[in-house]
Amino acid sequence: MPEDKKQRRSALDPAVADLLKGMQQKQSEAQLPRRERERISRERAKIQARRDQRATYDLPPSIREGLRLLAEELRLPASQLATLALARFLKEYHHGLVDLGKYKQPSRSPRYDWNLVFPDELIAAARRKKRD
Amino acid sequence: MIFAFANQKGGVGKTTTAVTLADGLARMKKRTLLVDLDPQGHLALSFGLEKSPGLYRLVCLDEPLSSVVVPVRPNLDLVAGDKQTEKVKRQITLADFCETILSDILAGSAYDAVLLDLAPSLDVLHINGLIAADWVVIPTRLDALAVDGVKEILTTMAEISRNGHAYRGYSILPTFFDRTTRETLLQFEELTRVFGANVWPPVPQDTRVRETAAYGQTLWEYSPHSTSIAGFKDGRQRLGGYRQVLARVLEVLNA
Repeated sequence: MPEDKKQRRSALDPAVADLLKGMQQKQSEAQLPRRERERISRERAKIQARRDQRATYDLPPSIREGLRLLAEELRLPASQLATLALARFLKEYHHGLVDLGKYKQPSRSPRYDWNLVFPDELIAAARRKKRD
Repeated sequence: MIFAFANQKGGVGKTTTAVTLADGLARMKKRTLLVDLDPQGHLALSFGLEKSPGLYRLVCLDEPLSSVVVPVRPNLDLVAGDKQTEKVKRQITLADFCETILSDILAGSAYDAVLLDLAPSLDVLHINGLIAADWVVIPTRLDALAVDGVKEILTTMAEISRNGHAYRGYSILPTFFDRTTRETLLQFEELTRVFGANVWPPVPQDTRVRETAAYGQTLWEYSPHSTSIAGFKDGRQRLGGYRQVLARVLEVLNA
């Protein structure tokens, strides 16, 4: 019987593949001119320094869009506007100026006791200024 | 399920790997037995015990497994070894069906996992260990001589398979892994090219491993957050290390 030549190459263990890729990338960077190596190293350091500042939250698209439009209008990074908004919220919450009670509804999720349910007008208000 | 840790090249991390994975399995509530097939008897020392002729009593004096095992940690028993293990080799050589003596003794034992720490040699006890095993883990440093040891073990396994023994599989475990050197990369590339998914995530070079044995503790006890356990940092994820290797062993065990 003829030998089956359509044999697939076995896949690597995912951790082995990631490690190998990283090592190969570093090896190829080592061949680059000094200036290029320094630039890559600076960029990597910048990304690493920012890593602790990154967060992922689910936001209504209208809030995200409202933030993006305002950032564009003010020519500011959207992240800084979000930081300001959250810092002010936390400060006001801890001073008792924000009442979450009116938005609270029991949650069915085993992870949470409550959900915050926002009225449509609150979410829609995020883009009102642009529409006006 | 019986795992053998084998490489004819010495100093590649067989004993450390066997101890670390055995204690790891025991911590995952798996009833685990560790058997020292090396006359150096280093498994007992690794747990802070004196060497003892456990294997000699088991094979030469025909004592039951339950009476020679030493409980070393919760869920973890040890059949220790010492220089009397040399006598075991002589006795086995003279016996009928000498290649399957260990396999026969361990058959039907009540453990979830049995880990055999083989000596770096190709004698009758080594062959017994390979024949008793369902899965062979081959620790190797990433240098040409140690990688040659991998080929030798695989050749021996192929001969054993031709004589009717069915392995469930094998894995190659790079140890003393130093990701900064070009030689490591070249050997690692070659190993993964030839052996593909049989190469398990490597164990980083780590001074803590050497210190561990001196304190008679396992790595999980002495330094559970060390690089050799947790792996290399790569962004937010960790790559390699005994924690990942243990996960691969559990996959094999639960398959």
